[in-house]
Amino acid sequence: MGITAFNSSAFPRVTPWECFTVEWFSVLAEDKRLLTGLRNSLFIGLGVVCLSVPLGLAGALMLTQVKERVRPWYYTIVISPILVPGVVLGISTLLFWDRVGVMFGASRDSFFYNGFFLTIIGQSTFIAAYTMLVFISRLQRFETVQEEAALDLGATHWQTFKKILLPFLAPAIASASVLAFLASFENYNTTVFTAISTSTITTVLASKVRYGIDPSISALAVVIVVLTLIGAAVHEILKRREIARSKLAAEVAAGNRLSIGKQTPWYFDPALIMIFLIVVAGVGTTFMAGTMGVEECKVAVKTEKQRATQERIKALRERNQAKRDVEAAQQAQEAEQKREEKEGRTGTENFNSIFNTDNLAPAEDAPETTGEPENDPSRTGTENFNSIFSTDNLAPKDDSEQENGEQDKKDEEAPRTGTENFNNIFDTDNLAPKSD
Amino acid sequence: MLNYWANYFTRNGIGVGMFLLAAVLLWMVFMIILPQLYMVDFSLRANVPPPKWGGEEHVYTLEHYKYLLYGSSKSAEQFNTIDLSVFGRTILAAVFVTIIDLCLCYPVAYYLAHVARGGWARLMIMSLIIPFWINEILRAFSFKVLFGTSGLINNALMAVGLIDQPYDFVRENVALYSGLSYAYILLMIFPIYNAIESLDKNQIEAARDMGSPWWRIHWRIVLPHAKPGICSGSTMVFMLSAGALAAPQVLGGPSSLWFTQIIYKAFNNSANWARGSAYALVLLLACIIFVLLMMRIFKVKLGEIAR
Amino acid sequence: MSADVTLDDVWIRFGDFVAAREANIHIEDGEFFSFLGPSGCGKTTLLRAISGFLTPSQGRVLIGGKDMAGIGPNRRPTALIFQNLALFPLMSVWENIAFALEVKGMSKLERRKRADELLDLIALPGQGDKRVSELSGGQKQRVAIARALAAEPDVLLLDEPLSALDLKLRQHMRTELRAIQQRVGITFVYITHDQGEALTMSDNVAVMREGLIEQVADGSTIYDSPETAFVASFVGENNVFQGKVNRLDQSAAVVETPYGEFCARPIQRNNQDQLRVGDDAMVFVRPEAIENAQSDSANRISGEVLQTEFEGNLWQLHVQLPNGGPRITRSSINDGRATKHQVGDRIELGFSETSAIALPTGQLAAE
Repeated sequence: MGITAFNSSAFPRVTPWECFTVEWFSVLAEDKRLLTGLRNSLFIGLGVVCLSVPLGLAGALMLTQVKERVRPWYYTIVISPILVPGVVLGISTLLFWDRVGVMFGASRDSFFYNGFFLTIIGQSTFIAAYTMLVFISRLQRFETVQEEAALDLGATHWQTFKKILLPFLAPAIASASVLAFLASFENYNTTVFTAISTSTITTVLASKVRYGIDPSISALAVVIVVLTLIGAAVHEILKRREIARSKLAAEVAAGNRLSIGKQTPWYFDPALIMIFLIVVAGVGTTFMAGTMGVEECKVAVKTEKQRATQERIKALRERNQAKRDVEAAQQAQEAEQKREEKEGRTGTENFNSIFNTDNLAPAEDAPETTGEPENDPSRTGTENFNSIFSTDNLAPKDDSEQENGEQDKKDEEAPRTGTENFNNIFDTDNLAPKSD
Repeated sequence: MLNYWANYFTRNGIGVGMFLLAAVLLWMVFMIILPQLYMVDFSLRANVPPPKWGGEEHVYTLEHYKYLLYGSSKSAEQFNTIDLSVFGRTILAAVFVTIIDLCLCYPVAYYLAHVARGGWARLMIMSLIIPFWINEILRAFSFKVLFGTSGLINNALMAVGLIDQPYDFVRENVALYSGLSYAYILLMIFPIYNAIESLDKNQIEAARDMGSPWWRIHWRIVLPHAKPGICSGSTMVFMLSAGALAAPQVLGGPSSLWFTQIIYKAFNNSANWARGSAYALVLLLACIIFVLLMMRIFKVKLGEIAR
Repeated sequence: MSADVTLDDVWIRFGDFVAAREANIHIEDGEFFSFLGPSGCGKTTLLRAISGFLTPSQGRVLIGGKDMAGIGPNRRPTALIFQNLALFPLMSVWENIAFALEVKGMSKLERRKRADELLDLIALPGQGDKRVSELSGGQKQRVAIARALAAEPDVLLLDEPLSALDLKLRQHMRTELRAIQQRVGITFVYITHDQGEALTMSDNVAVMREGLIEQVADGSTIYDSPETAFVASFVGENNVFQGKVNRLDQSAAVVETPYGEFCARPIQRNNQDQLRVGDDAMVFVRPEAIENAQSDSANRISGEVLQTEFEGNLWQLHVQLPNGGPRITRSSINDGRATKHQVGDRIELGFSETSAIALPTGQLAAE
């Protein structure tokens, strides 16, 4: 998939290979909706880290303290959010906090109805269970006697917690934070319910993926992959240094060496410098190769395609010419039928048909228009992300019993629901016809 | 009981003790238990517009559950074949995905735990984990790119000459099943890996020494030892793939609908939150019952799974 | 500062299990006091009650005459050295030592100065910046002591601190601990299952069995005049003969056993389990008190040599008494005059009536 980011073809694909380009990265950088989603996701991710790490920590510490008899029950309850489908978590969070909001008489724009708040709460419900598992495995190696030692030496409970337990848990806190952030960043099942009108990176991506996409998504994937690879490599190196250090310490203790001596600070580690250089060189080369000569290549491909299209059109025209003379009337009728068929099909099929490659095919066959995706008329209609909630996309399936009779009515509704956002489901008008 | 709390606060001190207690209460009660209970309550009520929630019209009713069964909240003449078949298909497909994952992961986990060494094993684990740091949607989408009509696999198959027409993997749900299997593969590998790793290598060697063929070694020694890991892995994969939403939305063929998608639609398109809750609850209960049933059949205790 | 410690009828129960019962002990100010007993006898439980990690189910703990009820471990004038030392692995050596000062809010400069002084005291000068993991076992031991001393406790509690060390180091640390105690002059309460440690270091020893304190006395009294069968068999090696008391007076008891009548010194314990004529009794003889039978030996036994063991300074001789009787051990100093015995030899042995003791029958220490 990563490779498709560098293909100038408008649809993310490896073959046919057209031109090597980095232009999709700049498309990515200018995608406002994606960037908003990214910003929101980062914010939510931070919130989830701040909430789920303390919760997981408390959950893990509590596990060691609850009575033997209660422990299995306690464990089952706190671990259950991992197993419960994310959809269920999202829904229950949404409903519950709405209820709480009503109880406090909070208004619709108070935080109880805020997508950020709900998403952070909803995601933390199960992410806290992940972080708890991290803490439990670290705590298994903790000697509780150290806490006793600190208390015995006169420390208060808070000092013991701060000076003994927290430093010991620091690595676990770090990895739990990373885990929590990543889990939050990539979550879709829960977020899609709790985010309400807030868009996150996953919801934006999901709507993009449904309504046809260009390789800027692949470009995003490349960015994420590169970042994670670097992160993983750095993590690996730091870990190796740690292992080496503890080995050295054991040698010193055994008296085989006199002392450890000064260690080079981490930013002088040759392996890290190597990685940094490779990344810089790789990005640089890719960028150079991706910008130079792209236009010439694209023009060449374009002319080649245009020629092919022209030929096809010519052939088609010739064929049509021959036919037209004979069956002019019939032809018109047929065309009419075709159109109706098409409408009928979109009416009865469910919304998955948007994934149907047929829908995307025109874009593939017409490079002239898709060269600049912003101008693509087929996409502007769906530009507003919220319109995926528009009833006319999906409704037919819902009301399949009374399909045709309602068709007109729906057409009336469609423009409105198409532009309004998700909150309009609170609107009583919307609900009335459905409940019967 | 009083004594317990007195001890608890002597052990933790007032401040830390209160923090632990408050955090755990917030999490357990306000984030896990109450929302779920409220969802149960909500699913049992009539579908009225939000301003009337909790009002007089918000009466208790079983209509949403009836709707799932009969396709209409009033008549009971015919079953709601659409929703029910989607439901059944979702459960079956989740079982299928679980089995695929199990077949794939057992050898990998065994290899990682007992055959691969040091750096190589670490590298393999890393390369297994890293894709999972990439967005769920993107991961699913990459499968779409792979399996698309002009995707890599079709091109490769055509180049080799196995097929002459692009095969529509998406329509045939191949893409969906592979995507789902891949999405939860880690949840299967790691429990099995942990279980197998704790197996003493000498046991395998002893069995080999006594002339046992490799399949019998696995059947009699490794598999029984890995059973808790297999169970917890299977439980997680099953529950999560049955409750998946992202992969079916991206990879689902036009003819297949996932039950979660119906729930999603109930919320976003039909604006029938109550029905959505009822469906979600049915899904949750069905998953739990299924898992308990399987545990009964394979004679595993809950304690072994929750590890 | 130093303080005395008193346990006043302390009972500690965990549910139905009684970990310690009717503990009445007075530890003098500045004393080196040991609790000795096999593992699981409740000695650590008592120590934790003194340090404040456990609240007695009944009775009082007094330190310096003050009742410690309701006072947590962090506010008691005690410092505990844990069995596994519980050094803080993430801190350097000096930070470990100065931890008690840090939580008191002392400035870093002062803390460092005090830590260096203590490092000098434990003979580890200039090692303050090392990590704990870079220390050897004995060094860690001394750091743990310094860390506890930095808290300036009135009473230092030590929970089997030497058990992880190898033999040589353990013996060395014994003398060192004793020296440190004499230098700082505070009360040491020491827990061990190693009788050698208890006897060499302590002013007084309490021997415990199954939650009960069997005897409190100084080392030589414990060894020479054990008050119960358990103490006699737990502390040091002992040969034991079971029998019935035939005659009894202040200085001698005659006990009839299947291997003959033995005359022994009766140990009368205050107010309980007094030895009476006709009672079951046990006669204990130390291996080093057994010698070749002399014409004037008060007590004689004969048996067959089972095994001879050479231990450098000692010869150990295992002798089987006839008719399925007990195996007894005799040890004699290797001074070149000892007669060599062959396995299978018949041998006549004897011991004096003052070197043997007679006690009421009781439970023996497990081998």
